[in-house]
Amino acid sequence: MNLTINNRTIQIEKAVTVLEAAEKNDIYIPKMCAHPELTPYGGCRLCIVEIDGRRGYPTACTTMAEEGMTVRTDTKILREMRENLLQLILSEHPSACLLCEDIDGCKEFQSTIRKVGITTGCRWCPKDRDCELQKIVESFNIHQLTLPGLYRDLPIEKYDPFFDRDYNLCIYCGRCVRICSEYRKSSVLALKQRGKQTTIGPAFTDNHTDAGCEYCGACVSVCPTGAMSEKSRKWWGVPESYVQSVCPLCSLNCEIQVLTAKNKIVGTLPPGLPHESAGDLCVKGRFCLSELVNRTERILEPIYLFPEGNGIVVWDQAIDKAELILSNIQTERTAVFLSPDLSTEEYEAVRLFSEKVLKTSEITSSCFDSNLIAFSRMAMKSASIETVKDAGVILSFFLNGNYNYGPLTLAIKTASDNGVPYYQTGWIKDTTSRFARHRFVPVPGEEVSILDEILKCLKDGKTNKPEILELSDYLIKAGKGIIVAGPEMMSLSNCQLLLEKIETLAIITKSQIFMPLPYGNLKGMLSVIQLKPFEDVLNKVEKGKFDLLYFIGDAPFSSRPEVKYILYQNSFPAPEGLNPDLVLPAALWGETGGTWAGSNGHSQPVVAAALPHNYALSHQEILIKLAEKMQNKEFVTDAKNLISGSLKAKKPMLPALKEVQKITVPSKPDPDFPYVLVEEISPHRYHNLNLSKGISGFGELVRTDQLMMNPSDARKLKIKDGDSVEVVNKKIIKTLPVTIRKNITEGFIHLNTSNGMRGFDCNPCYVDIRRVHV
Amino acid sequence: MKKAETSFSELLQSFPPEEGSIIPLLQNAQARLGYIPEEAVEVIADYLKLTESQIFGVASFYSQFRFTEPGRHSISVCLGTACHVNGGATLLETTERELNVKPGECTADKRFDLNRVACLGCCALAPVVKIDGEIHSKVNVINLKEMWNHYD
Ligand code: SF4
Ligand code: SF4
Ligand code: SF4
Ligand code: FES
Ligand code: FES
Repeated sequence: MNLTINNRTIQIEKAVTVLEAAEKNDIYIPKMCAHPELTPYGGCRLCIVEIDGRRGYPTACTTMAEEGMTVRTDTKILREMRENLLQLILSEHPSACLLCEDIDGCKEFQSTIRKVGITTGCRWCPKDRDCELQKIVESFNIHQLTLPGLYRDLPIEKYDPFFDRDYNLCIYCGRCVRICSEYRKSSVLALKQRGKQTTIGPAFTDNHTDAGCEYCGACVSVCPTGAMSEKSRKWWGVPESYVQSVCPLCSLNCEIQVLTAKNKIVGTLPPGLPHESAGDLCVKGRFCLSELVNRTERILEPIYLFPEGNGIVVWDQAIDKAELILSNIQTERTAVFLSPDLSTEEYEAVRLFSEKVLKTSEITSSCFDSNLIAFSRMAMKSASIETVKDAGVILSFFLNGNYNYGPLTLAIKTASDNGVPYYQTGWIKDTTSRFARHRFVPVPGEEVSILDEILKCLKDGKTNKPEILELSDYLIKAGKGIIVAGPEMMSLSNCQLLLEKIETLAIITKSQIFMPLPYGNLKGMLSVIQLKPFEDVLNKVEKGKFDLLYFIGDAPFSSRPEVKYILYQNSFPAPEGLNPDLVLPAALWGETGGTWAGSNGHSQPVVAAALPHNYALSHQEILIKLAEKMQNKEFVTDAKNLISGSLKAKKPMLPALKEVQKITVPSKPDPDFPYVLVEEISPHRYHNLNLSKGISGFGELVRTDQLMMNPSDARKLKIKDGDSVEVVNKKIIKTLPVTIRKNITEGFIHLNTSNGMRGFDCNPCYVDIRRVHV
Repeated sequence: MKKAETSFSELLQSFPPEEGSIIPLLQNAQARLGYIPEEAVEVIADYLKLTESQIFGVASFYSQFRFTEPGRHSISVCLGTACHVNGGATLLETTERELNVKPGECTADKRFDLNRVACLGCCALAPVVKIDGEIHSKVNVINLKEMWNHYD
């Protein structure tokens, strides 16, 4: 197809809008509401053009390019009209700086007065130099406002985690509303009222969390103005570099770009142009990573436990002390504990170090319990996100996709929107629940019965539940089934039984299994190290089989076990009671390069985005320093040859699965214990840090050590949000605060435990809730 | 709100679970209850598999729907530019404090509901307070309180 734009003949292949045709050929048309991920909106009218044979001034973003069209984008009249539109926008947009005579001097010298509560002009705006409105206005030579100014004086919304909203700066382009519903399928935001009273936000409240916001940050990314701004990146200015990397916070290893300014990691974004890409990240990859790196509580220098107490030492001294310890240890008397979120090269270095220097094969990770071993057997064969998008029918078990597994939940929601039937089994409502044809709520303790019913129906076509019949039909006829097994299952007593049935269902229906895991590089770890099951190593610790415990990232003890020495190598401080003999400050993700095994099978090498914090060194460097001191030349050569980014993940090594454990089936319903308590060991960790504890914003979203209940249960029990209650079963009483959440099923209480250990004897279990009398 | 829910579940079934049902469902809710409470939107959203914001976005486009319980009388305090500079905010604050009501809500005795508006189009008379249809001009804190007495 040929058309002419500004006297240039342009060829286009497929159906595109005039705006897209122009942009593809580097012809600039000012635009504000149009966005490549979104359907055309035609709201701002800045993209008006002249087209021969058409009346008036059509908007380029809503007009399809046609054969033989003659378009002009930059005539005198168009310029005037656009200037008028900008005048209209500016009359409602704080614009003191755009029109100020001293603008040039100010840009240069007044960079320190920016942190103000109210934005009256660009110098006081978090998006200064990164704002689309500013760029357009500057290209227009506007020096005077022709209309009386109006400040809307709307309250600035700062109470939600991760981003602030100042709708006084909003130009009502509607990008945020559209990206949230069209792309992210969350539909949290709405344009409320109309005309002058228009506001943007969730229904009824202004609180995003209650409205189901996932804090994916898509709306913040696409906002052309400073109306939406990231709390932690607000005053860093325009990032200086965008480094390609991957997110280490779950097995999906999303591709991200790391933003840096002044040699610091200041934020992360999904791949693509900063304002254009909505991305598929979850809140962890979008907002938590930079906060993790910049946590004030990082270990800054080596610390040695002198007889008088902890003291900061220089690296040389630390290495001397470490040598003293290491040279005292016999073969197989060291246990190494690893966190599942290091790079594959770091694991390889640890493996070599354990073999050549420590001379031990006792390497484990606190995540590596029998449920995970069972889970991993299947997870390592997990399907790819692409197959989820392309599924014929999707079935999820115990998936809690809130604030988690962004690409997965998005793939499910998008598929369902395109007509793919989706069925969910579990107790918690997550971001995918609204898209489910049917939500099965299993009977506690009998979680497998739904799988049994499906399997039976597949066999003999008999069931008394129409949903099961429908689902079985899809599984047989639609093909390309995807079964999502959520890691929430790993906390359940019946985990291994469930897994067996899921595997059977997958085999019978030729479905693929998708298993997200909350660990960043479990695959990498298992592909280079033959790990011992955690329970076995723990047993040996208790029996006094070790003289040295070497913690690298991991720290599964809250008090010091009976052992001669403890070495603690990490980025975040040790649990208070651990009392390590020597603390070595390690660099973390973003400060070192390396390979991440990735969920889709392809290994992803990344480079460091910034230098390590303070005196921290990468894990490899620390191990090399130690080996040099111990004159273990062999390790030093091998470790130095380990080129970052070179290790492809191989086949994972898994120990044989033990007999399925005897299961404690929860006691049957009992009038004295009318509620079901579902406990989940909080999976959101990086190294030994629980994100809910370490990042306050995340802690607001994922409440740990609190009882989450449905509003109607709370009403019945006369409990208010934040009240403390007793939760009781036959053996255990605990007093915990309550959080009221709409997504909890009535009759169920959810508890996310942060310390890695279940507090109740079986899961789920029947409990009673008692108000604490003061 | 239990009442709203029970009467509603029957009503819901008589409409197909699709987007087109939003408006008639809301009209029905308003006809029954006089306004559309949050709980009604929640139930409708659940039934139509939409979010509350989607429903609210559609509904708030039409001024016939109201989401707050109406009082017997309706106070609107103008906070447009002219009224603002002439003390509109103080009038709003006083009203909130004295009548113990927040904008968008109604007093416990259902006597007044309170709203804030941006410019009632009579800036020359600023600051302006509208009660039911009536515009009160050049209002100050003293005659504001006096004025309420005329509405029961
Ligand atoms: S953060 Fe994501 S889910 Fe929340 S409002 Fe923005 S786009 Fe919607
Ligand atoms: S908040 Fe930003 S993205 Fe949303 S309508 Fe306003 S200017 Fe557009
Ligand atoms: S889904 Fe996983 S990998 Fe992707 S951003 Fe979230 S935590 Fe990171
Ligand atoms: S960009 Fe075309 S109307 Fe806004
Ligand atoms: S500002 Fe109040 S009437 Fe115009």
